[in-house]
Amino acid sequence: MTLLQVSNLSVDFFTTRQIVHAVRDVSLAVAAGERVGLVGESGSGKTTTALALMRMLKPPGRIVAGSARIGDLDLVGLKGPAIRAARLKTISYIPQGAMNSLSPVLRVREQMLDGLADHGIRLSAREAKARVDDALAGVGLAASVADLFPHQLSGGMKQRVCIAIAMMLDPKIIIADEPTSALDVISQRQVIQTLHMAQKRIGCGMVIIGHDMGLMAQATDRIIVMKDGRIVEDAPTRRLFAAPQHAYSAELIESVPTLGSRPSRPSGERPAAGAPFLELTGVSKTFGGGLLGGDSKQALAPIDLRIDAERPRVIAVVGQSGSGKTTLARIMLGLEPPSEGQFRYRGQDVSQLSVPERARFRREVQAIFQDPYASFNPFYRVDHALLMPLLHLGAAGSRTEAREAMEAACRDVGLNPREVLGRFPHELSGGQRQRLMIARALALKPRLIVADEPVSMVDASLRMTILNNLRALRQEHAISVVYITHDLATAYQVSDEVIVLYDGRLVEAGAPERVIEKPQHAYTRALVSAIPWPDPDRNWPLVEPDRASWNQPAVVQPGATCLG
Amino acid sequence: MLVLIGRRIVMVVAVVWAAATLNFFIPRIAPKNPIAEKLTQLAGTSGVDPTKIQEMSQAFGARFGLDQPLLTQYLRYIGDMARFDFGQSITKYPARVSDLIGEALPWTLGLMITTTLLAFLIGTLLGAAAGWYRNSKLLSVVSPIIMVFSAIPFYLLGLVLIYIFASRLGWFPVSGGYGLTSVPEWSWDFAVEVLQHATLPALSILIASVGTWAIGMRGMMVTVQGEDYMTFAEAKGLKPSRLFYRYGMRNALLPQVTALALYFGQIVTGAVLVEIVFAYPGLGSLLLDSIKLFDFPTIYGIVFILTLTVALSMLLVDLLYPLLDPRARVGR
Repeated sequence: MTLLQVSNLSVDFFTTRQIVHAVRDVSLAVAAGERVGLVGESGSGKTTTALALMRMLKPPGRIVAGSARIGDLDLVGLKGPAIRAARLKTISYIPQGAMNSLSPVLRVREQMLDGLADHGIRLSAREAKARVDDALAGVGLAASVADLFPHQLSGGMKQRVCIAIAMMLDPKIIIADEPTSALDVISQRQVIQTLHMAQKRIGCGMVIIGHDMGLMAQATDRIIVMKDGRIVEDAPTRRLFAAPQHAYSAELIESVPTLGSRPSRPSGERPAAGAPFLELTGVSKTFGGGLLGGDSKQALAPIDLRIDAERPRVIAVVGQSGSGKTTLARIMLGLEPPSEGQFRYRGQDVSQLSVPERARFRREVQAIFQDPYASFNPFYRVDHALLMPLLHLGAAGSRTEAREAMEAACRDVGLNPREVLGRFPHELSGGQRQRLMIARALALKPRLIVADEPVSMVDASLRMTILNNLRALRQEHAISVVYITHDLATAYQVSDEVIVLYDGRLVEAGAPERVIEKPQHAYTRALVSAIPWPDPDRNWPLVEPDRASWNQPAVVQPGATCLG
Repeated sequence: MLVLIGRRIVMVVAVVWAAATLNFFIPRIAPKNPIAEKLTQLAGTSGVDPTKIQEMSQAFGARFGLDQPLLTQYLRYIGDMARFDFGQSITKYPARVSDLIGEALPWTLGLMITTTLLAFLIGTLLGAAAGWYRNSKLLSVVSPIIMVFSAIPFYLLGLVLIYIFASRLGWFPVSGGYGLTSVPEWSWDFAVEVLQHATLPALSILIASVGTWAIGMRGMMVTVQGEDYMTFAEAKGLKPSRLFYRYGMRNALLPQVTALALYFGQIVTGAVLVEIVFAYPGLGSLLLDSIKLFDFPTIYGIVFILTLTVALSMLLVDLLYPLLDPRARVGR
């Protein structure tokens, strides 16, 4: 039975300069109990379609044609208060950004009940409590969660609260916009399972917006692929993966990294001579405490790690948010002094480097950050970001020399210097910016690049290109890379060694073939089993992880250089 | 929690002590002798023999303890401050500084606290509305006018108000805290008189500061509208009024409250010029007189009271803020 029937929906944005056709002639249907995936790159019109159905488009965006029927109701034709009445009751929307979808200053209970109150539902205190308890139980949360504030919940719990809220009035259609972005694989699987469970209970139709084809394979019955505001393919999930009709669908499916087939690579190892390039000995970090601070928290338990300039490697650091990955990166970049232990650069304690030595350290250890949109100063042309370090860290003698180094670095990451240089950051795509960031680091001829989630904000189709850029750093330029991520599949693809962190501790280290294909530690096993496979026939195991077992001692596989 | 409050109170004491210490040493860097200043002034007006000034100033120096070594003076000063004993005024000798401050403080606090809270309330509401209804015709006219007024210093605004409403129209008295012939007392008539006198100074401060609050709130409101929780709240089908107050304003208010706390610290200093323009009998006028004549005890007393007000209002905000923002609560 078709619940939602969208016909020829078009949305235009009337900007001062031109009319942008954000959604063009979109027709789709969602049946009761069906799960439809809406995939495509950023800017393809997925979220705009959802907002149009919710009638939440902000000016200058406007629905210019089409209809969207749920039963007798045409969402596009609604006017005034009827629009508000349809939200939550007929169609629910869970926006992107699970971390911030709840107001930080109101208790969960109030945010669950105010929607009911504004739909004219009067409840006694006891009835209200029963409704809230029920809704929370429906997403597998304890009743006590209602009395908490959002900051007291984990990202996965917040998203489950949002699902509970969206389900409170048993809507016909639920749209979940990137419901698991910013969540680690374990929470991601829980959230998707919660969505399925809740949907089964109320029998609604569901639209899941996303760009991760692995997740889509596991979470949907049918997939609609969008590109430039149009639907390019609409097929059952199984058929789409087996035989994609449109080239773009095929490209999306191929861009998902999988386990089992790793590109072979030359070992090219030479014995290390002299002092290691970087050496961490028993390095740990504790935040807080002290005279005026509050409670102290150990962000990173003592860890040993060494990187040799003669033996470049790609080391992947994986773990959930809060596992200490970023703390480790900040210590290695010299941005954060370790609380305990020794951090040496070419045999010398980093805290005691002289000024010229420190400049050399800064030049030889480079960073690439998560958000390519925030990595550039929007007021300067991108050349500025590339030239400054070249000129100030003594990597280039003259401006001409610096310019040549900059252009060579652009070519090394596969960008045409003529196309990208001399432009402002907002004129370039996220992928181009992130590759420019790699070029910036590369131009300085560093020995180590620390990349913190370098592809998590880049469209799926560009991810592998950027990761291959990182691999090339090691193979062609003999640069070591510390690749920080929560995505095990990409870690498996690009690294020579994987380090798994949990709650600030090292739990497993070793070659990716061992750590990810044959994990020994219970936590690593939980992570690996939670990876969504881009194969609808391969089931996501539905077992609840046994968290107690994650506290077992660290497993250091043969050949690992990192010690907890 | 108690440990936290205890720690905050220790901080307040430390801040007040540090400020009091600076307060003691800074005026002493100025190469002026307050007693000689006062005597010279007297010599001009009432015919004291200028040649005797040296001698007299030494006698007075001994009287006020200014001939002691600096450290002795400092220790005695700290002890006195702790007991709120600021000694006697040099310029209004033998009046006690604590009495002078006691007389002036209620005028300043009454005027400034009322106007500040009122300006905060009006400005915040206005700014919230301006940030929310960005297409409103009315607000697009009102907002710029208010912004322009906020750019005019309030003493200048005060002069304009005096000219129009006191001098030309005669609706309000020109200056003072109460009529020249009345004596302060607890009566209806006197209260009306005080209100009449306070209207123009209050109005000048109000008009000039509403815009500042409005600008801050407008910016925050626009930021908050871009937050994910606003999108979700809208998707829940909430009423516009609930979106505006409970979700929008409630979140946008947090930085405003911090700003208010900081602003309270400047209340008295901010009042100085207004009090001068309107000859208002407050702390600002008293401070200005004392600085002009290097009346150390009065300056110390006032600055000490100011420091204490700032530190206490910060303490108050520190303790109240967690009620507004659950994220600032300690532990769970």
